[in-house]
Amino acid sequence: MIAITRRGFSAAALAGAATLALPAVLRAQAKPRLVVIGGGPAGATVAKYVAKDSNGAVDVTLVEPLPKFVTCFHSNLYLGGFKPWDALAQDYKLAGYGVKKVNQMASAIDRDKKEVRLADGTVLPYDRLVVAPGIDIDFASVPGWSAEAAEIMPHAWKPGAQTQLLKKQLDALQDGATIVMIAPPNPYRCPPGPYERVSCMAHILKTKGHSKSRIVVIDPKDRFSKMALFQEGWQNHYPGMVEWMDPKMHGGLKNVDPKAMTVTTDLETIKADLVNVIPKQMAGKIARDAGLANASGFCPVDPTNMKSSQDPSIFVLGDAAIAGAMPKSAFAANSQAKVVAMAARGELTGARTFPARYANTCWSIIAPDDTVKVGGRYEAKDGAIAEVEGFVSKTGETADVRRQTSEENMGWYSGIVADVFA
Amino acid sequence: MTPRPAPAVLAAAAAIAALAVAAVAVAVAADGVKGDRELGQYLSSECVTCHQISGRYDGIPPIVGWPEDSFVEILDEYRAKKRENQVMRSIAVKFSDEEIAALAAYFGSLKPKTD
Repeated sequence: MIAITRRGFSAAALAGAATLALPAVLRAQAKPRLVVIGGGPAGATVAKYVAKDSNGAVDVTLVEPLPKFVTCFHSNLYLGGFKPWDALAQDYKLAGYGVKKVNQMASAIDRDKKEVRLADGTVLPYDRLVVAPGIDIDFASVPGWSAEAAEIMPHAWKPGAQTQLLKKQLDALQDGATIVMIAPPNPYRCPPGPYERVSCMAHILKTKGHSKSRIVVIDPKDRFSKMALFQEGWQNHYPGMVEWMDPKMHGGLKNVDPKAMTVTTDLETIKADLVNVIPKQMAGKIARDAGLANASGFCPVDPTNMKSSQDPSIFVLGDAAIAGAMPKSAFAANSQAKVVAMAARGELTGARTFPARYANTCWSIIAPDDTVKVGGRYEAKDGAIAEVEGFVSKTGETADVRRQTSEENMGWYSGIVADVFA
Repeated sequence: MTPRPAPAVLAAAAAIAALAVAAVAVAVAADGVKGDRELGQYLSSECVTCHQISGRYDGIPPIVGWPEDSFVEILDEYRAKKRENQVMRSIAVKFSDEEIAALAAYFGSLKPKTD
């Protein structure tokens, strides 16, 4: 029999205190672990919603090297002088929901061990993994162009220094300048984006009083998103400035020459003052390296929950995923994220799940107070995400409707960044 | 970064939230509108891409704290394409009566932030 002395009692009390303190640690270890790679509108939204709606029952780690996220959406508005650069930078305010953010690049996924390795060697084990790395640029897809050449002929299709470089080049142009845009093949991030960018560049030239400058678009496609709306808008606001060429007109892109600042097609060689190469794209490297992508360079998923077709412990969403009829947009990524958050929580905590619902709207600015939109609702149907209801702005809409749509576009930006980052 | 609230604060907040939910559930039951708040919470995640959960207005109308009958009536009008906005028509068209009631219950239970 052990006599309880005063000292012994103190020790027992201490041990009791320790066991009281212990469950928190044990609980933390026993909690299901969700790791999210990528802090954009796809990944950050999943991290936030799982942490928020599980009330701490899931251990959520968000892996994203940027301490502040710069949104690709609305970066054309920065080019067009409609928004300052700082307005695109968003702070992560997710710690209050219980999201642990690691400011690192994820360097590899070990699918057998269910671990993510970070750039500094840290290993994060997971029960479920969310892969949302966005796009990578295919530098080899345009003859004569490369990562180095992009410092002269920017893509500006991932936000950051490239966007600022393009803005600097645009603002420096003198009247009589020739801009050439190489438009991308499908599928790519933000289908109306290149044409919204043309509008924003034209707006800058018009504002500076250019009467002789022109913008030539070399497009590998014979049609594009909101085509009639953009062409009507260019005619209304920038008559004679924009020349869009489909493959039947230019015969195919042969190469670009960053030293000579030329773009050569089957039809002609154009000497340019600014060349914006928006090339072919693919899923972020980490997704491809992990074997989550197919021959298209993007990642096939189960349309009912965005789960990777290759791995039942991994969800892929946003621009990296093959999402059927849904475009690669921030709105779509955020919408998919709500489905993933629900599905992941269901698997990790047994929370109720509901049939997936997806939505998208893309607003595009053509000129001040002249914005158009396209969007729809989507559902899983016959093994793919299919559009079940769609809409697009009409040509010839009143100035009042376009002004309201402009206001809606600005409101949407405030709404989505609050939903994703705060 | 927002500092992480202490567990005790979270627990207190959760308790208050639970009371608020219970109060809403009673109110809803008294009105005879059977909105499934949990379903409403999931469906609402679609709305808050544009309509801020804080109730803040930046170009898109706030929808938190509305009387449930007005909420149901307006969504019903979008669904019937009696109201103009294309985005809202497209959002509303696939909602069932039960889903609209769930959304009305959920958003009706929230209060705009006044900071």
